[in-house]
Amino acid sequence: MTGDPLHSQAPPRVRVTAPGTGAAPFPVSRELDEQSEVGELIIGSLIRSQLRLALVVGGGFLLILLSVPVLLAFLPVIAELTVFGVPAPWILLGVGVYPLVIGCGLLYVLSAQRNETRYRDLVDGR
Amino acid sequence: MTGDAAAGMNPGIGYTALALVSAATLLIGFYGLRISRTTSDFYVASRTVKPWWNASAIGGEYLSAASFLGVAGLIVASGVDALWFPIGYTAGYLMLLLFVAAPLRRSGAYTVPDFAHARLESLPVRRLTSLLVIAIGWLYIVPQLHGAALTMRITTGLPAEIGCLVVTGVVCLSVVTGGMRSITFVQAFQYWLKLVAIAVPVLFILFRLAGDGPPGADGAQLLAEALDAETHAPLYRNVSLSIALLCGTLGLPHVLVRFYTNPDGASARRTTLIVLGLLSLFYIFPITFGVLGRIYAPDLAGGAADATVLLLPGRVFDGASGDLLAALVTAGAFAAFLSTSSGLAVSLAGVISQEFFRGSVRGFRLSAVLAAVVPLVIALLTESSALAGSIGTVFAFTASTLCPLLVLGIWWRRLTAHGAGAGMLTGALLCGGAMLASAVLPRIGADTPAWIEQPAAWTVPAAFAVTVLVSRLTAGSAPGGAAKFLARLHTPEPLGPCPAGSRFRGR
Repeated sequence: MTGDPLHSQAPPRVRVTAPGTGAAPFPVSRELDEQSEVGELIIGSLIRSQLRLALVVGGGFLLILLSVPVLLAFLPVIAELTVFGVPAPWILLGVGVYPLVIGCGLLYVLSAQRNETRYRDLVDGR
Repeated sequence: MTGDAAAGMNPGIGYTALALVSAATLLIGFYGLRISRTTSDFYVASRTVKPWWNASAIGGEYLSAASFLGVAGLIVASGVDALWFPIGYTAGYLMLLLFVAAPLRRSGAYTVPDFAHARLESLPVRRLTSLLVIAIGWLYIVPQLHGAALTMRITTGLPAEIGCLVVTGVVCLSVVTGGMRSITFVQAFQYWLKLVAIAVPVLFILFRLAGDGPPGADGAQLLAEALDAETHAPLYRNVSLSIALLCGTLGLPHVLVRFYTNPDGASARRTTLIVLGLLSLFYIFPITFGVLGRIYAPDLAGGAADATVLLLPGRVFDGASGDLLAALVTAGAFAAFLSTSSGLAVSLAGVISQEFFRGSVRGFRLSAVLAAVVPLVIALLTESSALAGSIGTVFAFTASTLCPLLVLGIWWRRLTAHGAGAGMLTGALLCGGAMLASAVLPRIGADTPAWIEQPAAWTVPAAFAVTVLVSRLTAGSAPGGAAKFLARLHTPEPLGPCPAGSRFRGR
């Protein structure tokens, strides 16, 4: 490489920049690494929002699921409804619950992702 | 009575199906051997498995004899109440997604005992967790072997023990030679095999039903009788069962080990979501099978209900088409035993070898054999009961022991080693006692009350309560690194490629 005329004559180009004007003097990621109070606060709020999300989605799902046997127990009329000759309890429990499970899962994954994106934005300061 | 029912079945079908599935399993296992070389390869497939592969593998591993044969069998035997089983099996993954999937992946531990050790910094808790994981794995493999014995007897007429031996042998061979990387391929293949094996016969029988109408004189009358909407089980039983299945899935050792093969927390979540879809898709078919069984073969409810999936194609179709469909479901059934047992053997071998052989590859192989042979002995000594029911009991045990450890360990900073240990012991004693009682009571001629038969509704809350209470009382001994560990579990990984060890994106 010593024979390369460009590199042997000119010094290498260096980019000169000013210190970032908007940058925080003490990066959030350093707060987190050092277990400072601010860092703990941010992580704590992420954990709390993820837990709240999981409890809301899980609780909602269980409530709907539990309402099926309760409804069937207190309103026996439902058991007499049929779709193409198949009684409603079979349809509800055999088919109906599964889209609900997938829907709850999708809702959770998207919301959890959003919580994490919000956290990332906070940490990266952008 | 199963002998009579099987009289029309051609033994050649059983042999062919068994040979094909075993050959395919071993072949993919050997193929995997060529790419798995290091210790880390053996344990967690070097964490390079894509979500779709991983999800198929989880589905393949999870859909056991209880799902493939047991769900339809239970629907034939007990009607609409049986629908709670597949719901619980599927929704358990929703709970896993909500509370465990991403944080567990970020914990960086290989097994549940690893997690307990890292989180609580306590060796005794680690040992206790290992013992529980090993016990759960063994309890879970036993029904698989019972299913294999049943299938073997019905399809080939050979003594039931041969079925147990064949499954154990194939599992040992494929795990010992390939480790987890090849297991991932094997499991993924087996999900799709099981789906095809159960979907095709169902569709054929449905076409026949649509074409010829229901058998017998009055079709509508028959359908109404077959689909009796009366629930016979008390509400307590269904609720307790749901708690067992929902919380039990969180702690299943062979399921959890799969999550370490995801590259990061977000992909662990995506994987679980795909699993929810795959399971929902699969369970349509055993449920339909069960309903068709009630229409075409209500006599099976007497005692051979678990064989419904195997026998129904031959009852509806004569000759070659019936034989072909029967071969297909037999292959699917063997895939079910093989995949679940080998998945369990891998995760058990991981725990046993880390606990007793310091995690070497040779130790892993020896442990895999240990993990598969002990349940073989138990299976040969015990009688088979309804497959879906006996798996439900294992779920209750897992829910009462490992579920509080994982959920509180991931979400509650004040969990202490004493609390976790006391909670797991409480759950294990209460639930284990109930399991023993429900095994002993019928033999001495006493009735088994519902709260003993389905203990999860009180043992799971009891285990949680003891864990929290003892943790509060021993708050001084909380591990020092808890806050930092929790932060790691919930911090999203940096986007894009980053140097190993750096937790945050460089600026």
